[in-house]
Amino acid sequence: MKSEYVNSFYAATKNVFQLLVDMEPKRGDLKVVNNLSNDKDANVELGVKGDLKGMVLFSFPKNMTLEMVKIMSGMEMDKIDNFASSALGEIANIIGGNALTLLSEHNYTCDIDPPQIYIGNYNRSPVENEKALQLPLLTPIGEFDITIFLKE
Amino acid sequence: MMWKDKYKIGIDAIDKQHEELFGHVSNFTQTIRNEENWEAKLDKVKETMAFMKDYVVTHFNEEEAYQEKINYPYLEEHREAHTKFKESVNDYVKLFEEEGFTEERIQEFGGKLMTWLIMHVGNMDQKIGEYVRDKGGQA
Repeated sequence: MKSEYVNSFYAATKNVFQLLVDMEPKRGDLKVVNNLSNDKDANVELGVKGDLKGMVLFSFPKNMTLEMVKIMSGMEMDKIDNFASSALGEIANIIGGNALTLLSEHNYTCDIDPPQIYIGNYNRSPVENEKALQLPLLTPIGEFDITIFLKE
Repeated sequence: MMWKDKYKIGIDAIDKQHEELFGHVSNFTQTIRNEENWEAKLDKVKETMAFMKDYVVTHFNEEEAYQEKINYPYLEEHREAHTKFKESVNDYVKLFEEEGFTEERIQEFGGKLMTWLIMHVGNMDQKIGEYVRDKGGQA
């Protein structure tokens, strides 16, 4: 998997986080994973189609999700309900859209499917047992992951 | 409150409308999230939805007219973003008509609306302000 994929998603995430929650996520150590499972509390899956095919998974811990939605709305949140999960889905959707714009500068033309939101553990094996890349991102309100499984 | 000064684009007329729009969305969010019984606040939810739908369209039209006036080069791209958003609101309105104004669906709409609005005003609309400043206009 090429570095452009990871770099585009990281750049888009950084930009969106700075605007929405005034924080710049720092990159942790990139690792290769065998499947797309994640035990964090809220997972958003984005299907990608076009020149690149596959999916990207955003995985957030509960407290971080609630804190993000609180910063944006100015309101206390105590559970990941439809409001919070929908806000999270839209955040992932915007990051995905911006990442694809960055990838189009490398001549990849792609589209994303509407975000699928899973509250609780997420477990799905990638097609054909290919490896995925997982990028942990660190912020003052918690650590989250972006797992990227894309092929040409 | 959702509104933050960093969302200002530096054009007074548009900033005022944005602040007002954020105020309405913020009130809407508070209404749908307060502890009151859902049935009891349903009329207010419907009323706010209808008002916001009109207000958003009016604001988009005025913002697009302003962009035309200043020959903004990214008008078409901006108009397309507005159109997509209006379509998305209309899709929800259709769902509400079909399914009724269920609490789950309205909460879902509220989360999406808030996020979209912050990103659009905080990112895409900022470019209008940058363009005006580059041209030596009001900052």
